[in-house]
Amino acid sequence: MSVTTDETVLRSEISGPVPVEKPQRRGFLAAGHYIPYALLLPAALSLVAVLAYPLYSLFDLSFRNVNRYAYLVNPSLAKYVGFDGFAKVFGDGQFWEVVLRSVYFTVELVVLSMVLGMLFALLLNRVSGWVKVTAITVMMFVWAIPALVTGTIFRWLFASNGGVVDYVAYLVSGNESVKHYDWFANPTIGLYVVAAAVIIWGALPFLVLGLNAALTQVPKELMEAARLDGASPFQAFRHVVIPVIRPFLMISAALSFIWDFQVFAQVFSLRNTSPEPGYWTIGTYLYEKGIVASKYSDSSVISIAMIVLMLAVLVFYIRQMLKIGAQDR
Amino acid sequence: MTTAAPAPKVRATVRPTGENRTMTWIWNVIGLGFAAVMAFPIYWMIITTFKTNKDLISKDPTFWPSSFSFQSFQTIFDDKDFLPSLQNTLLITLGSVVLGLVVGFLGAVAVARFSFRGRSFFIVTMLVVQMVPLLAIIVPLFVVMNGAGMTGTLFGVMLAYLVFTVPYVIWTLRSFIVNIPSELDEAAMVDGCTQWGAFFRVILPLTLPGLITTGVYCWIQAWNEFIVANTLLSTGGQRTAMGWLTFYATTPTRGADYGAQMAGALMVSLPVILMFVLFQKKVSAGLTAGAVKG
Repeated sequence: MSVTTDETVLRSEISGPVPVEKPQRRGFLAAGHYIPYALLLPAALSLVAVLAYPLYSLFDLSFRNVNRYAYLVNPSLAKYVGFDGFAKVFGDGQFWEVVLRSVYFTVELVVLSMVLGMLFALLLNRVSGWVKVTAITVMMFVWAIPALVTGTIFRWLFASNGGVVDYVAYLVSGNESVKHYDWFANPTIGLYVVAAAVIIWGALPFLVLGLNAALTQVPKELMEAARLDGASPFQAFRHVVIPVIRPFLMISAALSFIWDFQVFAQVFSLRNTSPEPGYWTIGTYLYEKGIVASKYSDSSVISIAMIVLMLAVLVFYIRQMLKIGAQDR
Repeated sequence: MTTAAPAPKVRATVRPTGENRTMTWIWNVIGLGFAAVMAFPIYWMIITTFKTNKDLISKDPTFWPSSFSFQSFQTIFDDKDFLPSLQNTLLITLGSVVLGLVVGFLGAVAVARFSFRGRSFFIVTMLVVQMVPLLAIIVPLFVVMNGAGMTGTLFGVMLAYLVFTVPYVIWTLRSFIVNIPSELDEAAMVDGCTQWGAFFRVILPLTLPGLITTGVYCWIQAWNEFIVANTLLSTGGQRTAMGWLTFYATTPTRGADYGAQMAGALMVSLPVILMFVLFQKKVSAGLTAGAVKG
């Protein structure tokens, strides 16, 4: 029968990480080879239209010299320039400055948010029930705030006129001069302190709740055994807890990296839609070049560079997800 | 914190209750402090919206309004762009949720119930394309949509949102559908259901929890999305609520009116907050599965 041969072909064809559910051509819509393709058609068509074709034209644009003028007004100006576009972007000192800043910023964000997330996840296991419920409720609300709105709120919290952070600093220190401290005057402080606070605040709910859920997977017996064997709390954490929650740790760290490296919305609204060059990380740089300055080809090169820079982590993340998918079944 | 240990041997290692209780209280205080710090920005947003102008421009911020006023909301609703932008967002969100669920559901049935050439390739692709940064394809997406005459239209934005809804819906719904045994719809068909009857009476109801989970996720993503909508709509002079809020503060007078900005921020976030409150469990499950920040 054709079904059986199909099945064996498929089995041998797929030996990769994805498990094959037993092929079922029974029940609902039992007949017709065309049916799965017909069902997939809308999805495939729409993904080709809004993803595959744009991705193709991303590479196409990167080998041309298209900007808004050459695109809309005088298309004949747009021509293929080979790797000139890459040479132009990579020859720009600002590009490397932005890449370096993105790396520093991402490392800061990932390390801080993972450490804080872990500490608060551990804390939630120590507190009384009602405190835990309170904290989780608060975090659900924080999670619900859209990223753009987060930036707007923090712009107000850190405002130099009437900002509550400055006021609290004044109340604590009694120093009149901190009352109008401008957090945004120096981009280094604005980015690495304020923008980092915005992003970490928004990222903590996912990390704390996720890590806390992962911690409940650690068997109590293991902890007790470790303690009986004379392990200090730190040793028990290092050698019992970490190995158990390792999969989630790796995945959430990879995700944090992926999110934080391409961060845009929070910084964009924090700086009231026009971040100064000192705030530009690669996401913002891409937007400034591509949308604000309408240099389509330059921004395509930057997009490709951004994806390439994230590639190792992306591949790692996808492999982890496929591995987990394989365990499920 | 440690529950009563069963064996006497273990009990010896448990700290005395007195110290234990003190420690719990110390942890509680730290925990509440953490919750307070996390909650403060939201508290501050809400409290700012109710402040009178007098409070807002006073030299020192007040932690509680001297009197409550709805003036800031008045300002927002008087803004002639606010309600249209909210309407745009609502239409785009509803459209892309429905579109994404229909297209994604069909695809999910295909990969969960049928075996065909290239199936596992397709499944892996659904995971991989979720990781393509939206920001990276924004310029070519604009060029492609512009070529198709779709820029400046809400429908174009709905179509563009398929880029993140469809892969997620297929990837997530697949596991819901795989878990429905095909014996169930076979039984329904033996009992006299037509194929479509089996689909609507058996498969669809059983997939409903999955549809809600993914639908809520798509809703939140579509509602919060800013870059694609703003770029695609820029030629038509329309805005979504997120775009409206973002650019509201760009004029100097409004830039200083934080009461109105916070009222706008609250209004724009409310539908998402509502989704979180209504579908709490499903939201956290869905967001974790989709691995996308809310």
